Amino acid sequence: MRPITQLIIFLLFSIFSPLGSAQTSASGDHVKVRLVAPEQLGSGKNTLAFYFEVDPHWHVYWRNAGDSGAAPKFNIRSDSANIGGIQWPFPTRLPVEHLTNLGYEGNVAYLFELTPKTNAKTVELNIDLEWLVCKIDCIPGFGSMTTELPVGSEASWSAEDKTLIENWQARIPQAAANSPWQAESLLTGADNTLQLSLHGNGEAPNVFPLDGALLAAASPERNSTDSGYRYTFERQPGVDLPAHTGFVISDGEQAWQLDRVPLGSAPPPKANQPLWLLLLAAFVGGVILNLMPCVFPVLSIKLFGLINSGAGASTRTREGLLYSAGVLATFAALGGLLLALRAGGAAIGWGFQLQSAPVVLGLIVLFWLMALAFSGVFEFGHRLMQMAGNASGGSFVTGVLAVFVAAPCTGPFMGAALGAAAVLPAASAMVIFLGLGAGLAAPFLLLTLSPALLARLPRPGPWMDTLRQLFAFPLYATVIWLLWVLGQLAGDSGWLLGSSLLLTLAFCLWLGGKGGKLWRLVAWVLALAALVVTFARLAPSEPASITGEGIWQGYNADLIQQARADGQAVFIDYTAAWCITCQVNKKLVLNTEHTTELFKQHNVLAIRADWTRHDPAITDALSQLGRNSVPVYAWYAPGAESAQLLPQILQERMITQLFANPQGDDR
Amino acid sequence: MNIIKQGLLASVLSLPALAFAVATPGEPAPDFSETDAAGDTHTLADYEGEWLVLEWFNKDCPYVRKHYGSDNMQSLQEKYTAQDVNWLTIISSAEGKQGYLKPDEAMAEAKAHNMHNSAPLLLDPDGSMGRAYGAKTTPHMYIINPEGTLVYAGAIDDNDSANPAVIPDSKNYVVAALDAAMAGEPVEEPSTRAYGCSVKY
Repeated sequence: MRPITQLIIFLLFSIFSPLGSAQTSASGDHVKVRLVAPEQLGSGKNTLAFYFEVDPHWHVYWRNAGDSGAAPKFNIRSDSANIGGIQWPFPTRLPVEHLTNLGYEGNVAYLFELTPKTNAKTVELNIDLEWLVCKIDCIPGFGSMTTELPVGSEASWSAEDKTLIENWQARIPQAAANSPWQAESLLTGADNTLQLSLHGNGEAPNVFPLDGALLAAASPERNSTDSGYRYTFERQPGVDLPAHTGFVISDGEQAWQLDRVPLGSAPPPKANQPLWLLLLAAFVGGVILNLMPCVFPVLSIKLFGLINSGAGASTRTREGLLYSAGVLATFAALGGLLLALRAGGAAIGWGFQLQSAPVVLGLIVLFWLMALAFSGVFEFGHRLMQMAGNASGGSFVTGVLAVFVAAPCTGPFMGAALGAAAVLPAASAMVIFLGLGAGLAAPFLLLTLSPALLARLPRPGPWMDTLRQLFAFPLYATVIWLLWVLGQLAGDSGWLLGSSLLLTLAFCLWLGGKGGKLWRLVAWVLALAALVVTFARLAPSEPASITGEGIWQGYNADLIQQARADGQAVFIDYTAAWCITCQVNKKLVLNTEHTTELFKQHNVLAIRADWTRHDPAITDALSQLGRNSVPVYAWYAPGAESAQLLPQILQERMITQLFANPQGDDR
Repeated sequence: MNIIKQGLLASVLSLPALAFAVATPGEPAPDFSETDAAGDTHTLADYEGEWLVLEWFNKDCPYVRKHYGSDNMQSLQEKYTAQDVNWLTIISSAEGKQGYLKPDEAMAEAKAHNMHNSAPLLLDPDGSMGRAYGAKTTPHMYIINPEGTLVYAGAIDDNDSANPAVIPDSKNYVVAALDAAMAGEPVEEPSTRAYGCSVKY
């Protein structure tokens, strides 16, 4: 018969054939689709497929189609069988202009499982299909299939189809447990990226994100790490981070699916994590601490002092080294103390020196005197510096001071490095502390060592007085903030005692400045008496309760446990009175009407974990999150297994987006 | 106001560079200056103080046809331009690529598509505006508020089928975002995965 006659007979047969006859193919421009099924189904689980034969250079798509395009849609209905979800072979990246699609260039089989219901003699299938085939232009296609398949004890396949199914089954992602590559961490990186670290052996695999709404399809940047590779994916702009997301990794022959890689907190570093990397991170963190508003003015004092004194190169070097020694010694001492307490089993965290009222009061007095000196109320250089002894002692003390005032300003680097330090072996932890110290000391040391750099600093002149007076104001602000901390620590009387002391000191300065030995003596006695009385009065008191503040409740591990078990959403604000970032976030984001309304509406258990006085339960909870400092914002979506950590600088839209898609990446 | 405060705060307290390559919801919308089919120039500043919707268009794309053939897009244009929302439909196809139109052709197509509620088609043959916004697909939708902040970027709705029959049962993201934003409420889904044909840069 001629082909055209064959076709006509086939068409007639298709149209007039009795019920139960099969239509197991569909076609459109550039693509033919065939249902690959056995001649007889087995009574157990069968794997069937839709086999797409695609014209050269045209492609169809993976489940995450990438920057454009669309995955095929399959609607499979049967009364007499249970149908599993579509199994997607691992894709390849298909660049289209500057965009990237994920799909298959050439033929592909999408598989699905079918299990006949008990005692079913036949299984009828009704299928609707939709696909998109693209080269550069895209053509959608639609099709329907119906068929009825007999059921026997064993499946019977044609040899050809059996091979086809097996070939494509090999490309279906397997369980993560079988994977030679395991996810080590998934962290946010700079410039709106997400970094997936894999550890394992062999050539670097390809990694495909499952969630196209979260991550761009473009090939991620790949870097070697000690234990494997790190892949840097670009995030889709404006999408907030879910608690976890999934990836398919492939070596080109097989593939594995990492279903729920949790995002956010770094896992506790392994002992084999390269020490130099931690050291570098700590060093960078230390350098950044120089820019913290509470450190910068202190360093400026010293630099002005150096410029003013017109000191020679050797003096400057000595000053720089002494300052560095002061910083390093203090970091070593704090690190040693932290380690000693850790070894002693005491749960304690960074910022603990601000949990003691006398230390806070001491800092208040110090900053107050510095601020007054800056304002020109008395001569700092002639009195306090002389009091501190010679200039060498001064540099050392500046170094010590810098460490103390830097501690509460934990930048992102500091948080991560200290979190690591809390769980690392003692020697490594100490290295991190010294790294932070070295970083903090480096810019100052550099300026004092290099005459060229120092020469680039502006010449001394009247402008310095103006600038010095200007610098007084951040110091006054610091005093206010520390007074408030004192109030939190010592109760209502704290700030009253503190400010009375400040008033007395200001009065004594005025009195002493009037001239006359007698008046000066009276001023000294009065000042000392005020200091002694105030310090003595600052006995520890019960912490001020912050529960009952609107929708916020105090930290209660049982309550949180219970709510999570009940599928209630939980938001925990790990905060402390001495953490300025925490206060700003609280004011601008967490305590707003908008957030309160959202939390109420979604029945969120809002917990404020106040770490102002180191509460061991909260220290514990923080270390479980891999953190050792505040702020930390932990969000548990309803039923979520792990916390999603929000950035340290909160914005309202981040809160809004927690509720935008409660299913997260389960798409 | 809050955004300004938080922006300041973020720049003071955090050091990472906040560099965004493409339009990001919550951030100021990228500037543009393009000529429409009638020869008039449109810039972002022209729409200061007004709501603006951007829609990427390619007459030969099946997904564009899905929304125009069903009258879905035109109804949206009509509904929102009646509420004083501006609507710009943009062609970023390069010359010689699918969907590229000369100004007179664009005028004819706009008429054939019954686009009488949006301005004459905006022609971006060098792709500068498309790239600035990171427009990936046709249709790709953006909403800009009167302060010039992008409040939505992504798909028109949640069903990436090319079949117009699914439109009545789809969730229209643009409607949801516009209605919420114009009522002064936060947009629940400010960013979605755009679907459709690639923009033919």
